This record gives sequence, structure tokens and C-alpha cells, in this order.
Amino acid sequence: MSVALDFYVQRDSWLHRLDPRVKLWGMLLGLIAVFVVPHLEVQIALLIGLHALLLCNRVPWAVLGRLWRQMALLIALILILQPFFAPSGEVFVALGPLRLTSGGFLEAARLATRAMAIAFTVGALLFTTDQRALVQAFVRLGLPYSWGLTFSLTLRFLPAIQQLFVTVREAQAARGWVAEGNLFRRLHEYLPVLVAVIIGTLRMSDRLTLALAARGMVGSTPRTVWRDLRMRPGDWGAGIGITLAFGVLLWFGIMQ
Amino acid sequence: MLTAEHLCFAYPSPGPGLPTTEALQDISFHLEAGETLAVMGASGSGKSTLCYTLAGLAPRYTGGHISGVVRAAGYDVLAEMPPTGAVGILFQDAATQLFNSTVEDEVAWGLEALGTPPQRIGSLVEEALTRFGLLEARARPPWMLSGGQQKRLALAAVWAMRPRVLLLDEPLGGLDPQGRAEVLAALAVVQHSGTTTLLTTFRPEAAMLAPATLILTEGGATSPISTSAVLQDETRLVEAGILYPPRRWPSLAAQGASSAQPALTLQDVHFAYTDGYAALHGVSLEIPQGQFVAIIGPNGAGKSTLLRHFNGLLRPTRGTVRVFGKDAAARTTGELARDVGFLFQRPEQQLFAATVYDEVMFGVRALRLEDAAGRVERALARFELSAFAQLPPSILSYGMQRAVTLAALAALDTPVLALDEPEVGLDGREWARLLTWLAERRAAGVTLVLVTHEMDLAARADRVVALADGRVVADGTPEAVLPSIPGALR
Repeated sequence: MSVALDFYVQRDSWLHRLDPRVKLWGMLLGLIAVFVVPHLEVQIALLIGLHALLLCNRVPWAVLGRLWRQMALLIALILILQPFFAPSGEVFVALGPLRLTSGGFLEAARLATRAMAIAFTVGALLFTTDQRALVQAFVRLGLPYSWGLTFSLTLRFLPAIQQLFVTVREAQAARGWVAEGNLFRRLHEYLPVLVAVIIGTLRMSDRLTLALAARGMVGSTPRTVWRDLRMRPGDWGAGIGITLAFGVLLWFGIMQ
Repeated sequence: MLTAEHLCFAYPSPGPGLPTTEALQDISFHLEAGETLAVMGASGSGKSTLCYTLAGLAPRYTGGHISGVVRAAGYDVLAEMPPTGAVGILFQDAATQLFNSTVEDEVAWGLEALGTPPQRIGSLVEEALTRFGLLEARARPPWMLSGGQQKRLALAAVWAMRPRVLLLDEPLGGLDPQGRAEVLAALAVVQHSGTTTLLTTFRPEAAMLAPATLILTEGGATSPISTSAVLQDETRLVEAGILYPPRRWPSLAAQGASSAQPALTLQDVHFAYTDGYAALHGVSLEIPQGQFVAIIGPNGAGKSTLLRHFNGLLRPTRGTVRVFGKDAAARTTGELARDVGFLFQRPEQQLFAATVYDEVMFGVRALRLEDAAGRVERALARFELSAFAQLPPSILSYGMQRAVTLAALAALDTPVLALDEPEVGLDGREWARLLTWLAERRAAGVTLVLVTHEMDLAARADRVVALADGRVVADGTPEAVLPSIPGALR
């Protein structure tokens, strides 16, 4: 297994070409907005806007759909459990101390939308920014190169670990293993798969350490940069536009 | 330029109560600038470890104990890590060496680490990609390349840094014939650049690139001698576990006629992956019980996809698969595992248990087979693994890990075996182990279906099925099919 997968979707688009520092700034403001303006309408609008932004910048539906699938379990858990934790408003069903209420459902919808808005805010950066640009953005923001590379490689480990999980599960299925029974039993039966994935991830990490060391990760010569980042007028304009949009959202949140 | 004197290395114990591993013992050689040395050895003989020690990676990044003298590119490697770019290394599994998002970034990364002026990097990247035939792939992600292309890219990335010493660990390892041909051509580029090169291999065609060869065995090494003399001494190479020439192979002929009853039946099978890529287009096959079928075809022909339908890892988008007459659609992968034993490509990457014993026991327990302990013990004994039963598979050599995967399969004792390119990366000893076991299985009447690029193996099958672009393009006896299939379609 290698670090052989990526969130990045290689395309030529305005968002792909946008300076990654502006995208990082946009992501930061987007995440703040999701928390400080917790209105369902705003979060739905943000989510729709992010979908439109990504689709207009040639990130295919299949990639967006995959993110929805990856988040599906978390969203399902929120929608099922959250109504019981935040009862308020009209009571629909009451079972002892458990109550299903209109306020509970609204809160669950708000939380689920927020989780998806966070996922797509981060996705807008990762789907449109390759590793080199991301690392360089961190470096230009003052982080040491090794930190930037570590952060970027860590993000790339996530899909690689997912692939490792599939590989191990297939190997076990081919020898007759099938997870069956209720959810807890299935989770328990997945334990050997998880252990194998952890071991595989550590091995992958060891090999990557050797590869990085062999090619000068810890050399004493200062690194140079091929194709360094440069803020163009369009990048400044986008940065200002994002900041203004954030200001409007904040104002809307305060007024509400 | 590259010297080892009485070099010894032992890996640390992988855990409490587990032994240290003596990987290298008393190795000595000397290479002048521009010379090439081949190191031949079976899997587990210490070839990769030798490369790690010469590059200064072991014991710095692996732990362990080293003694002797190593000098590379003028540096005392045991005292100090050679500076970036002085010593380059191509890892056995090239994919682990590739961590950038595009082919050109991969080559540029090392040049940036060297502190190369940015205005020169572009031309150096282009030159390296041109020399190694990757210019057209410059914007592609490395993980989208074939095995041969990945090796060439890793080589280009190292070569671009202009190392004075280049260490190539199994440059042809794990590749199909097409990938091997590509990498051999790339190695010729390296040779002409005058770099001092040490390459490890168990393949004669790679060793022939060097005038001298050193043979590594578990526990020692010969002095470098003429490569032609080494390659002429076939018996010595066979005894060292390096070679297993086809004329020494056991007979894989059927002991009797195959049954008229079908073991596997595919009717008009189509398959498309979730991203829409259609891999199979209406494949129909009937494989009688006891038959030995070799499936051949170029990369991307749909061979592995087809094989994965036999044990339910993939289900047809359209069409039916029957195993012993029963529709596979009505059975889980777990149920099909009772009938069809499956060996994946690179199976050593799929070992997951804490001990060798648990690894072999896993399937036996999952299928609730009777005489579980007896099955496991017999399988371990069959593959000479009994002494290693309580060790973690991850600390074993590549060859022994392969043996563990075969033992895990043997313990299930299934009436059908589906093996996906089992020959890839095997040294002579592992070939012998695999073929002897397959011969036993044939004698027991087991149905064998092998995806293979090894034409000597396909020639020993009862039947050869050739695939191209997801369709069967030839189906018949090896004598009828193999001469009609051009090399590029194998």
C-alpha cells in the first residue's frame, strides 16, 4: 500500500487556479460562519452555494456524492439521536423520559446541515488544491516546510487508509469472514479489520519516512521552490469578496 | 566510490521475547566510479537491507546494530548521513517512494531539496522525464501510472538529483513482462550516465547489466565474480533459491480427464465499476471440475475483474455466475469462500493477523471448518512455517509472507483455486514452493484458474483463455492459443 490517493480533483478552473492562501482564508471564514450564524436557512444556503461553486469549477457530481456517502453515517446518527437530546416545542411522541419534539427535529436538522456545511467548506479547499500548492501555502503563512508537508501527507493518508481498509476487508471476506448481526456485533467483528488497518498504516508511515529521508527531507541545504505562489489581482479580489460576504453573513446573524 | 568492508547488520527485536534478525554478515566489495555491481539473492537474503545500510538509512531510521565500514561517494556512511543527492536509492516497491500529486512534482521535489535554483528546475524535470519516457504523463498523478511507469518515475526522480552512487533495490521486482521491459530500457539510460550503481535482483536479465555479481545468501555473501560465470552456473543459482528454470518445474498435467460437470459457469457477464468504467463485456465461460485454466491478456484487459467474480468479491452488472451449478448471486462471499479459494495480487499486503498461526486459522475459523487445529498445523508444516507460528507475519521476509498466504489458502482445502498473478515477484525458491503445491492440488482434482503473464506457466495449463478489452478473444489449448496471441496482448 502506498500513499496513492488524494482528495484533489485535477481540473483547470478558476477555483483550482485561485491562490491556496485565499482558499485557506475562505475556509477559515466559512467555518467561523457556520458556528457564529447557526441559522438553518443560512447553513442550507451555504451548502447550496458550495455545491454550485464546486460544480461550476468542474468538480464532478460523483465527487460530491462520495462526500455525502462518507458523511452519511454521521448524519444518520445526528438525525436519529439528536431529537432526543434537545426536546423543545410541540411534543409528537413521549416514551417515559424520551420525547420527540418539533424543536428536537429542528435542532437535529440544524446540526446535520452544519456538519455537511463544514465537510463541504473543507472539501472546497481539498478538492481544488494540490499537495504542492497546499504545502506552499502553509510555508508562506509561516509554517516550517516539514509541518506543511506533514499536514498535507496526513490528509492524503485518510483516503489511503480507506483503501487499506477495503483491501483488508476483501482479504478477510475471501477467507469466509462476513460481519453479521446487529450494529454492535458488526462493530465488534470489525475489530480485527481495524487492528490490521492500524498496523498497515504504521508500515506505510515507516516506508514513507525512509522515502522522505532518502530524498533529502532532513538535508542541511535550504529548499528552493519551483513555481512559487504569487498573489494576482484576481486572488486579492476574491479574498476581499470572501471577506465582504463573511461580513454580510455576520451582520445577518447579529440582526437575527 | 562505494565500499563495504566486513559489513554486518542485525535488525532489533520486533518485540519482547522475539529474536533479533541477522540480516547481513561479513559483506565486502569495492566499486570504482562509474562501475556497476549486481547483487543476486533470494527473497530474505538481505538485499533491501544492504541498500538501506549503504544509503545510510539503516540503522538510522530502522534501529538495529551495524558494524564494519561503509563508504559511499566519499562519505563514511556509518559516521554521517551522506548529504542530499550524494547517494540515491530506488526502493523495491516504487509506489512507496512516490508521495507527490503529479509526475513532474515528484521529480521536482528532490531538486528543491537539493536547493537547485528554481529557474533551472523546470528544464531538469523535463530532461529527466524525457529520458525516462514520461514527458507525456507529466501532469498525471503517480498512482494512476502502471507498475512499470511508477518504477521509471521513481528512477527519474532519483536520477534527476544526479547522485554519485545509485542503489537500485529489485528494479524489476513486482512487474509484469511489459513493465520489466520498460524498466530495463530505463536502466540502460542510468548506465550510460556513468553513475556508480549497485543493483539487487534475482532476475538474470537485470544482473546482466553489471559485469560483476555478488551472491547474497542468508548468512553471508560471495566475493564479486563475473556475471556471465554466475549466470552459467545454474545449479548454484537454483541452490541459492534465486532461479527455478521452467525445465525443472514439476508436471502440472492432469492425473485424469476433467469432469464433465462444470465448476464455474459464466453466462454473458458484464461488469462496470461505480465510476462507470466498463471492465467486462459479455464474457461467457464454462470451466469443468478439475480443469487448469490460464487467463492471459494485457494490463487492463479485465483479468482480475473476471477472477473476482468467481468468489463474489464482484457481482456482475448483468449476466450470471454459477459455482458448482448454484447461482452465485444467491450466496454471500463468505459462503462462496467454501468453494473458491482466492489469492490476491501482492497477497503479502493483505496479512492482518497478530501471528502466523492466527493468520492461517482465520479462514478456517470463519468458515467453521472441522478439524480446525489439524488443518492449520498441516498447512503450516506443508509450507515449513511451524517454527514461525507464533511470530507476527509482518516481521517475516517477503518470501515467507508469501508462504503464509499460501498456507492460509491451503488450510481451507477448497475444490476451486483462483489465483491472481501468483508469479509476480517470486524468486526461485518461491516458484518451487508454489508450483509443487499447485501440482499437488492438481493431483487432488482441484480446479485451477490462474491469471498470469508468465507464458511458461500458461503453456502448462489444460486451457488458455485470452482476454482483451473485457472480452474473450481466444479460448483453447495452449498449443492452439499461445502462438496466435501477439506478445503485446499477453
